[in-house]
Amino acid sequence: MDGAAPLFRMEGISKRYGGVRALEKADLTVAAGGIHAILGENGAGKSTLIKIMAGVVAPDEGTMTLDGREVSFASPAAANQSGIVCIFQELSLIPELSVADNIVISDPPKRFGMIDRKAQRRIAEEALARAGASDIHPCALVKDLPLSRRQMVEIAKALARKPRILILDEATSALTAADVAKVFEVLKRLRSEGLALLYISHRMNEIAELADHCTVFRNGRNVASYPAGSKSDNEVVELMIGREYSHIFPPKPGPTAAATTVLEARNLSWADRLDNISLSVRAGEVVGLGGLDGQGQRELLLAFFGVLRGLSGEILIDGKPVSIASPTAASHGRIGMALIPEDRKTEGLMLPMTVRENLSFAALDRLSKGGIIDRAAEQRLIDDMVGLLAIKTAGLDIPVGALSGGNQQKVVIAKWLMRQPRIILLNDPTRGIDVGTKQELYQLMRKLADAGAAILFYSTDYDELIGCCDRVLVLYDGAVKRELVGAEITEHALIASALNIHGEGAGPRQGAGA
Amino acid sequence: MSETTLGGIAGRMPKFLRRADPAVVTAFACIVVLLLLGSLYSRSFLSPEYLLQQLKVASFLGVIATGMMLVILLGQIDLSVPWSVATGAMMACAAAAYGSVGVALAIPFGVLCGVAIGLVNGIGVAYLRIPSMIITLATNAVAQGLMVVYTGGFSPQDSATAAMRYLATGFTIPGVPNAVIIWALIGAAMVFVLTRTSFGRAVYGIGNRERAAYLSGIDTRRIVLIAFAVSGGLSAFGGVLLAGYASKAAQSMGDAYLLPSIAAVVLGGTSILGGRGSYLGTVAGVILITLLQSILSVMQMPEAGRQIIYGAVIVSMLLLYGRAPASR
Repeated sequence: MDGAAPLFRMEGISKRYGGVRALEKADLTVAAGGIHAILGENGAGKSTLIKIMAGVVAPDEGTMTLDGREVSFASPAAANQSGIVCIFQELSLIPELSVADNIVISDPPKRFGMIDRKAQRRIAEEALARAGASDIHPCALVKDLPLSRRQMVEIAKALARKPRILILDEATSALTAADVAKVFEVLKRLRSEGLALLYISHRMNEIAELADHCTVFRNGRNVASYPAGSKSDNEVVELMIGREYSHIFPPKPGPTAAATTVLEARNLSWADRLDNISLSVRAGEVVGLGGLDGQGQRELLLAFFGVLRGLSGEILIDGKPVSIASPTAASHGRIGMALIPEDRKTEGLMLPMTVRENLSFAALDRLSKGGIIDRAAEQRLIDDMVGLLAIKTAGLDIPVGALSGGNQQKVVIAKWLMRQPRIILLNDPTRGIDVGTKQELYQLMRKLADAGAAILFYSTDYDELIGCCDRVLVLYDGAVKRELVGAEITEHALIASALNIHGEGAGPRQGAGA
Repeated sequence: MSETTLGGIAGRMPKFLRRADPAVVTAFACIVVLLLLGSLYSRSFLSPEYLLQQLKVASFLGVIATGMMLVILLGQIDLSVPWSVATGAMMACAAAAYGSVGVALAIPFGVLCGVAIGLVNGIGVAYLRIPSMIITLATNAVAQGLMVVYTGGFSPQDSATAAMRYLATGFTIPGVPNAVIIWALIGAAMVFVLTRTSFGRAVYGIGNRERAAYLSGIDTRRIVLIAFAVSGGLSAFGGVLLAGYASKAAQSMGDAYLLPSIAAVVLGGTSILGGRGSYLGTVAGVILITLLQSILSVMQMPEAGRQIIYGAVIVSMLLLYGRAPASR
């Protein structure tokens, strides 16, 4: 590995999104004929790195060299031209078209300006065979294929572009165990053909089986690069956590057993995303939801808030079963629930509308008599909220979209506090906001809990869960895998249970159905 | 983006203009330009009689466009206007044939028929999740069919009641046609609803981001249903007024109001994607469209030429400011 000249090299790559630093002077060296695994927590910069490689986003600074020549990609098509092809986590196939159509979609073979269907079919067959999926008929419609087959088509589509570097971003997350084994065969064969493969996965066992070389990312930097197998799972987890990142969290009040249970779920299931979840939240308690991104945490919060249809199981408020049919039912009346949604720009706020209109939007029924808004009452309550949360705005009548991310998030929270909710569900509320505002939110959260609110808090940031929560439930594949209480909530325990690794150094287990 | 360039121009304007929506200002400016151009052709375009007459004609469109605006603010569209108008007119005239009770209930009955059409639209859009473009087109066709069955395919023989004629052509205040007063009242009510009520806030919220409105605990389906019902009712009321104006209902009387009502709303600066727009703009749009039609017909332009110029002017005015995307 050391002797051969690297096929592809990235040096000093940085990328910012607004005020958020996604990558900071990151380096990566990729050699031909090897499988290179990239590890890191959610938000460590892995996705940004491969998006830069694949030409989806442009880096702010840094250089990329391919075969020793400096390159830059204006678009994913340009990256494809240079032989870098990426298979993203989300499928990119068009369901209404045939497998063959999809495989050659970006560059179909042509005769006299028309698509040459024979050549197209031949290319598709070759690509499918190379992907180890020759059982898929090129003329089948993609929508008729099960998810795992579609993933194989996705790989074939990438191979039809004759890549020299193939990037797989969580490409196996939708596959069954049998398909994963097949894909691994294909990947190993591609490696022996001299391709460079970049493999991103949260599944430690897959990385252990496949990778030749590993690079760990943390907070936008590459913190370690080592030959596969030279470090234990525990060492890797420690590398992923790091030690440099800390916030100031308000002190926890310690266990108070006497409080009454406000929110309870019994055997909550929904489609294949929520699997028999039971939990309870007491008044004055902050309960965290942990685990990797996309293990059902969001669906769980939406289920409580009355958004999901076809939910099975029971939700109890104050010990009494209730049926919550809509957010209106969840937030109004006796239940008094509030949801701070995941994406403030599309779910929390109406960006072009004013700060005033956004703030009072969730509490309009309380601020109006006979449907007519009591402007004086509205103004009073808004002034209270702007003061309480220290929202920095140039005025109440400017569009809320003009505020900074942190202040936008404060508006989302304030608009719910205007209803004085008893149950507060928070869906990753600190994503993309600055550290100072984060700290204010942590303190606010604790203040609300001390005032008797029951808080259910999902975060992708493990430090937050440790710093803020009295208990943490770790979800994996839609089920609660572990409950951590008080001092048990450590980075190590969180990550180990998020990856579904049992105990110290024990073999990782495949998730149910994965 | 044209919003920034307009903002730059607005920066040099007096304060009261700077605070106004640039689209509304542009629409009013276009009205002035149209009148000046018309006055080059004939001095009578600036006479008070002509202007009052235009305002009266505009008020029919104004009533219909008010309902259309509500629906467009939600990010939806109501294509059932033509036959909601005709249904309102025909049913009001039909009720008049049933003695004195029928005469007394003619107007509310006509409006209620429009509300019924609107309710079907609203249920389709809000509860059945059918795209508004499809469901309103379908109810329009059904309403047409029902009216053809009712009239037997001929122009209905019933005539408008005295009350309908009085509303459309009478004068309660000397010099101001009743139709204009009615439009003013409906307009004032709409401004109040849009700016001062929780319903109005919810309409803007849904138009901007339905998901956020829903997650804020707004009963979005109820709001959408009500908006379509109001739109249907106002279209039918416009039809009632038109029947009073012409003394009777006619088969295709609503056809001339679909495009103008949408164009008036959009020319007035209301975003066709929903969530943004003021009623003042719709007023400007209605007057602008009415003047344009009137001037083209006074110039005795052949029908084909009139249609071409009418369409071309609408497109070019939309290009002036209609493309500005919402700031998201």
